[in-house]
Amino acid sequence: MPENISITLHINGVKRTATVEPRRSLVDFLRHDIGLLATHVGCEHGVCGACTIMLDGRTVRSCLLFAAQADGAEVLTIEGLAKGEELHPLQQAFQQHHALQCGFCTPGMVLSALELLRENPEPTDEEVRVGLAGNLCMCTGYVNIVRAVRAAASDGKVK
Amino acid sequence: MSGEKKWVGQALERTEDRTLLTTGGHFIDDLTLSGVVHAAYVRSPHARAKIRHIDTSRALAHPGVCAVITGEDVAQSTRPQRGRVPLPNSPRVYAIAYEQVRYVGEPVVGIAAVDRATAEDAAELVHVDYEPLSPILDAEQALRPDAPLVFEEIGSNVLWHDTFPYGDVEAAFAQADTIVNERVTIHRYSSTPLETFGVMAQYEPATHSFTIWGHTQQPAQDLHVVAAAFGVSPGQIRLIIPPMGGAFGNKVRPLFIIAAALLAQKAKRPVKWIEDRRESLLALGHAADGIMEMSAAVKADGTVLAIKFRNIENEGAGIDFAGRHNLLMLSNIVNCYRLRAISYEGYSVVTNRCPVVANRGIGKPFMCFAVERMMDAVARALKLDRAEIRFRNFIQPDEFPYETPGGQTYDSGNYPEMLRKALARIDYAALQREQAEGRARGRLLGIGIATAVEPGGSNLSYGMLISGPSQLLSGQGEAARVRLETDGTATVFTGGLDSGQGHATALAQIVADELGLHIKQVRVATTFDSASHPYVMTSGVYSNKFHGHDTVAAIGAARKVREKLLKRAAALLEANVDDLELSDGRISVRGALQKGIGVAQVASRAYWSLADDQPDGEPGLEALHYYNNPLAKRPDEKKRLRVQLGFASAAHVAVVEVDAETFEIKVLRYVVIHDCGRQINPGIVEGQVHGATAHGIAAALLEEFEYDQDGQLLTTSFMDYLKPTAADLPDIEGDRLETPSPLTLLGTKGVGEGGAVVAPAAIASAVEDALTPLGIQIATLPITPSRLFDAVSSGMKRYERQKQNSEYRRQNPE
Repeated sequence: MPENISITLHINGVKRTATVEPRRSLVDFLRHDIGLLATHVGCEHGVCGACTIMLDGRTVRSCLLFAAQADGAEVLTIEGLAKGEELHPLQQAFQQHHALQCGFCTPGMVLSALELLRENPEPTDEEVRVGLAGNLCMCTGYVNIVRAVRAAASDGKVK
Repeated sequence: MSGEKKWVGQALERTEDRTLLTTGGHFIDDLTLSGVVHAAYVRSPHARAKIRHIDTSRALAHPGVCAVITGEDVAQSTRPQRGRVPLPNSPRVYAIAYEQVRYVGEPVVGIAAVDRATAEDAAELVHVDYEPLSPILDAEQALRPDAPLVFEEIGSNVLWHDTFPYGDVEAAFAQADTIVNERVTIHRYSSTPLETFGVMAQYEPATHSFTIWGHTQQPAQDLHVVAAAFGVSPGQIRLIIPPMGGAFGNKVRPLFIIAAALLAQKAKRPVKWIEDRRESLLALGHAADGIMEMSAAVKADGTVLAIKFRNIENEGAGIDFAGRHNLLMLSNIVNCYRLRAISYEGYSVVTNRCPVVANRGIGKPFMCFAVERMMDAVARALKLDRAEIRFRNFIQPDEFPYETPGGQTYDSGNYPEMLRKALARIDYAALQREQAEGRARGRLLGIGIATAVEPGGSNLSYGMLISGPSQLLSGQGEAARVRLETDGTATVFTGGLDSGQGHATALAQIVADELGLHIKQVRVATTFDSASHPYVMTSGVYSNKFHGHDTVAAIGAARKVREKLLKRAAALLEANVDDLELSDGRISVRGALQKGIGVAQVASRAYWSLADDQPDGEPGLEALHYYNNPLAKRPDEKKRLRVQLGFASAAHVAVVEVDAETFEIKVLRYVVIHDCGRQINPGIVEGQVHGATAHGIAAALLEEFEYDQDGQLLTTSFMDYLKPTAADLPDIEGDRLETPSPLTLLGTKGVGEGGAVVAPAAIASAVEDALTPLGIQIATLPITPSRLFDAVSSGMKRYERQKQNSEYRRQNPE
């Protein structure tokens, strides 16, 4: 067995230092070593997007990265999105528009929507659909997700 | 309680969402126990083989491995599974393959180790010596007398076969002006919950008892299946079910629970197993594939007098759902139409494919696909418009309650209005003009129409049609307990479960109305625990049963609490119970509004002040209610039965365009008009319609569990098993109709399954319509561009399932 690797990274603004097995995936590290359980595992082969997080400001699939690859990075998970009790505008929009049902895809979906709106603050329905095509939702048929993202965009509060 | 509803009927935000949006909720893989170890399975690479020998010695010696179990261990330690509906002639099925493997992906060896990676490493070290046998995959071939047997001990591949004549079918055929014949098939697919199956089991040797966290949709039945397997009392099993990340009828695999529990027993440590996606696609379960032959007796004016059905359902290598797709298809087989007579012959056949489960709508998607394909065929035969043929055959609004030939009673509905609304919304006439103009230029534009009943709640007595009248399981009901806490808020416990439908919000709306509370003062204990939650044997989340069972149980319990509360308040206020009013968390005396008391004050005394006089003879403000649906009886001597207990309905209209060169299919518009009676929360209802419709569209155009001729599943990842993304699906437009059910307390009907029932038929109708210039009829699903291209290129006039039969003919020339 190769030697464990020491890593230091910022997760939701908190500095973390840890020693990980080289084969430890980033999502398993976040969930089981750090205890941030909101990032979910849906397929472990990079298709479903449930494990989507932000790494240095870009969305990545944390099931396809090793924890060791995140050494030195800034990581944002859904746990880091709300400001205390105040939900992020996207979280509010998802709640208002019934854009989640079982909620398993939601953390990844919200972070993909955040990246989309940062790049394209006023997307059309079609652009939202294409922008979120890396995240599967098995419950909603996406209709209310598209509505929520459009509503958050039109409020203009997403940063 | 007055009829006024403050909370019911509002599209409120869901109480579940804040947790899901911030901490991600609390799913099974988020739970752990100290000392927990993790399971992995060695799975069969063969569709059918004898197990000659298993060598687990290297796995056992691997550092970190705590326990290894094989089929031998399972057969020694547990009893064979009894199906939910016990079969008169049941094969022996265990949690792990014993002596034989029967499908690719069947668990063969279970390993528990300190972590999942170590368990998977050890799985690689197991050697299994197989004697491969030729598999049987096709249900029609499995019926042949010379077919290899999936379960030798039952002497054939037929788990169940029966015929059901309802009404005078022969007389109808004698009166017919035209006979229309159709043969259609449906494929294997699944709604694939994004969270895979999970279980964590802990064993206590001193009391020989188990605590199990895990997935099921029928907690009481699965608890009893697990208890029976281990030969222990149901009281020795504590089953805890956290909210599930989708279930869709798939999470009903007690064998997976039994395997984990046995590993925990052997490992002497808690064992957790989270299915991975490949395992889930291979072995969690599929909707049954089926073959339906139909013959319709039709009058010249388009009246369909009767239809004869013959259906073969492919159960795969499992017994748990034997006959169920068939019976749920049969019970709704007249769909929205005034058919006077039907006959139905059903076969449930085992093969070397993955066992089937109750995927969203179980049986009804194929019912709707078959009947609606037939209605389109009748329209074509008589050169009538496809909407018109439906209007001529619909059950009319003044005919409700309507008894079908098979003994179902449709409670209410307005099918003509529903379809009219859908056609108006899409502007049918304008679309037909656009289509005609487009066709002149070679554009393949199609309009699809389908309607269906969406049953809610199933009477589990239907199993008696398979196992006979001695079957214990019957009827339908649910249990609920409501506790008014000392601070005047309420907590609701039911035997229902959470898999994403917003039931906690809906129950809070209902109970808040009953107890005069604010919705924020009602919480629902969504993690089911058999040690604290009440249940009946039919409890759970399945069969669209919430609207008329969970709701009524909760109302019953809340009303009992309300009565206790008012009695106590009357004593404290020295007033008459009949003079009290309860609203906004306060009880006041009518006509003397200044005289009143807070609910919290009464509740607090009810628990703390045991020296008070107790109006009920007992302290506390808690009540239990068991609701038993009075309509859910046993079958009569003619095998007629009210299988389903309330009937929502929907009309779908799809507009598709097929690319004339590539055969790419684009859904341009999709309209749903649905009628689920009164709505508790229209926001939740709308989401259910969207999600179910998306499942149906994807089942029609993308998704298929495809096996090769050796029984290898070819679609074992989301790269091959194609789920729809947001970019693949249309916006789902629509509106509602509201014909309240006279049978439920709130006038509600089921709503979770309908979209998945109707959409495959609507898409098939639309694609067939688009391909009219090419004369192609759609008789199977999914409709994929490459297969459609092949069909058209080879001059076929029907898009149908041919592969298995042509291979069979090649191998077995007549």
